[in-house]
Amino acid sequence: MNAERPPSHAAPSPRPLQDVGQPNLFEDIFSHSSVPRIRFEGLIREEIDGRIVTFDPAQAVSADIHVTDTTFRDGQQARPPYTVEQIARLYEMLSRLGGPRGVIRQTEFFLYTRKDREALDRCRALGRRYPEITGWIRADDGDFRLVKEAGLQETGMLTSCSDYHIFLKMRKNRRQAMDDYLRLAAKAIEHGIRPRCHLEDVTRADVDGFVVPFVQGLVALSEQAPEPLRAKVRLCDTMGFGLTYPGAALPRSIPKLIHRMIHDAGVPPARLEWHGHNDFHKVHVNAATCWIYGAHAVNGSLLGFGERTGNPPLEGAVIEYVGLKGASCGADLRVITEIADYFRTEVGAHVPPNYPFVGSEFTVTRAGIHADGLRRDERIYNIFDTGALLNRPPRVAITDKSGVDGVVLWVNDYLGLKGADALNKIRVHKIARWVADQYAEGRTSAISDAELAEQVRVHLPEYAPKA
Amino acid sequence: MAESVEDGVRKVVVKVLKVKPESIRPESRFAADLGAESIQSVELVAAFEEEFDITMDEDAALGVETFGEAVTFISRCIEEQHGA
Repeated sequence: MNAERPPSHAAPSPRPLQDVGQPNLFEDIFSHSSVPRIRFEGLIREEIDGRIVTFDPAQAVSADIHVTDTTFRDGQQARPPYTVEQIARLYEMLSRLGGPRGVIRQTEFFLYTRKDREALDRCRALGRRYPEITGWIRADDGDFRLVKEAGLQETGMLTSCSDYHIFLKMRKNRRQAMDDYLRLAAKAIEHGIRPRCHLEDVTRADVDGFVVPFVQGLVALSEQAPEPLRAKVRLCDTMGFGLTYPGAALPRSIPKLIHRMIHDAGVPPARLEWHGHNDFHKVHVNAATCWIYGAHAVNGSLLGFGERTGNPPLEGAVIEYVGLKGASCGADLRVITEIADYFRTEVGAHVPPNYPFVGSEFTVTRAGIHADGLRRDERIYNIFDTGALLNRPPRVAITDKSGVDGVVLWVNDYLGLKGADALNKIRVHKIARWVADQYAEGRTSAISDAELAEQVRVHLPEYAPKA
Repeated sequence: MAESVEDGVRKVVVKVLKVKPESIRPESRFAADLGAESIQSVELVAAFEEEFDITMDEDAALGVETFGEAVTFISRCIEEQHGA
């Protein structure tokens, strides 16, 4: 029962219109020159075990939150393998994207093949502090030797948590699984390697019956080790079942999972990480929610490449980070465009045109009314100054829906005309007529840039670039 | 004898919108009554500029709704740009 809800018979108090002389553009949030700020008002309240528990999101994001990367592990499981050269190039770009303060703090590598180790050596030879390279192993004695020989300080290891995995996949019972996991974690610590336990399928696991007891065991084990060797916990939403909704029940509730880990199992927020999947279209917000509720690390993959539907898009996580922090903290968002171009041209990956921040058309509008808005003031239909922040200025693509508004925006963009020099709709009407006639005659494809450039040459020869 | 502004505007409207001269009245609205599509509104303005050798403010010109208003608006532009 919500005590703050007004009695049902109370009429809402009237709110007079504030007929202002100047527009309120909320520029403290939407400055346009930076990623929109994500602000919070007060505390979040969640009922857990019959008690109201409060979370302070502003305090949570002021902590050392950061992004970790799985492009070369989960990302590579979902697609043909990268070459050593590609891994080295992507690592170098990841390093520049995350900046010298480690917004992208770590990245994980396979260690099994000669190629895996060659890629590791190439990346380490670049001498970058961030992202730190960690390993990922199946976890047996031989694997620990691989990690040690590679000189890595930390490795991820599978510690599947749901009964789907324990009973149906591994054919064990909970006691056997927990004992095996704790033994392997202890072995990692013995080898001088920090174990990062990947709690596979945790959003389908018995949180109180298995997850919390196991993680309490990990925490107890860690207390006997120096800090650099203490176990990290990665919450793996393997099938994308996680939910952010207030009031959602365990095991799917992300707020409750984070609370259980920090308050019931004793995991310090700095050693708590989220790894999600996108099976229900929730991957990005699920990850960001973990920051809000207290976990410090969110694991993502460049362009979201990962098993099946993919992982949190790493570039999206970095932009979310900037919005939450209100500062780039050294991250260079322009590298996002460089990375996407590299994926398209060198890796040969398909990037959906409408994919946020990186798709070829994410700043492209086709509707004439939007184009008209863009022409009047870019802020109306551009999320932020994508030209300055991402090297991706807004553009217009011409179809039957673009109208004269779209054509004039395209022409001015093409000719580089701005402000008082920009042409108006009257000057481009012959090009707009040519476009309209194309569709009147049955065309169904978009007008290409080359076709429009030719129309500029024909109808605006005084402006057209010289051949 | 010199053509009046009204005659010139009517001639342009007939040519651009392909309507009969007798269907045009002072209160005729370009879009609702004479069937001007969005692009034709811009073409009308361009044709008026060419016919009367004037330039018009884009927003103001496209804000004109009726034939009669257009005659008044264009007459004012001619006066401002070429004298009475």
